[in-house]
Amino acid sequence: MKELIEYIAKSIVNSPDDVVVTEETDEQGTVLKLQVADDDKGRVIGKQGRIAEAMRTLIRVKAAKTGTRASLEIV
Amino acid sequence: MGLGAEEAKIRVEPVAKQDSDITEVAKGVLETLLTMMGVVASVVPQANPVAEEEEAATPINLDIKGDDLGILIGRRGQTLSCLQYIVRLIVGHQTEAWVPIIIDVEGYKQRRYETLRALAWRLAEQVKARGVPFTLEPMLAYERRIIHLALADHPDVTTESIGEGEARKVVIQPK
Repeated sequence: MKELIEYIAKSIVNSPDDVVVTEETDEQGTVLKLQVADDDKGRVIGKQGRIAEAMRTLIRVKAAKTGTRASLEIV
Repeated sequence: MGLGAEEAKIRVEPVAKQDSDITEVAKGVLETLLTMMGVVASVVPQANPVAEEEEAATPINLDIKGDDLGILIGRRGQTLSCLQYIVRLIVGHQTEAWVPIIIDVEGYKQRRYETLRALAWRLAEQVKARGVPFTLEPMLAYERRIIHLALADHPDVTTESIGEGEARKVVIQPK
């Protein structure tokens, strides 16, 4: 799950080396936290959160495949 | 030719990336995403496009083929729309060119295109006969566009979109 967000984020930001994704799993499912350079925040959130929402939709597919839940936060 | 001929003027325009290269980049990005999403499928470039966008640039069409891919389409095609959006962003960032990329799943959009056009014509006849406007279900932007275009030259009805965001829908009205 982490790899998917890492791959997308690194591919759309200007400072891929600053991309950090952490993954925490509990009984509720998986929480992914995405951290990027300040300048890149807009590039992973998008207008009206469109990019963040698209990433959430894709991790939901992955989660559904493995029978879990997943959420994404941008920190 | 030969003596006294005018000098030939040759205009050379730099071509950053050939379309075929971008197709390969887009195919690779999509395959990587699918693998990371745990979806087993193959990506096949298509020559025959769904008329989704009218652009100067020819769109790149990629069809995803495999079993049980409904999960990739999602409710009202929203998951497919997100996947296409992410692929466009990544390819745009990598190639520094904006090329429309259209992603389909087992010809879903092609079938949807034909269904929506047939639906539009049928509803237009109904609106004409009854003289009462008809409001369709909420649809994605490119799907609303198919309806608008299908009825653009219809002699008896007009179309418009109402509502905001995900709830936006087409209304067919008598002229």
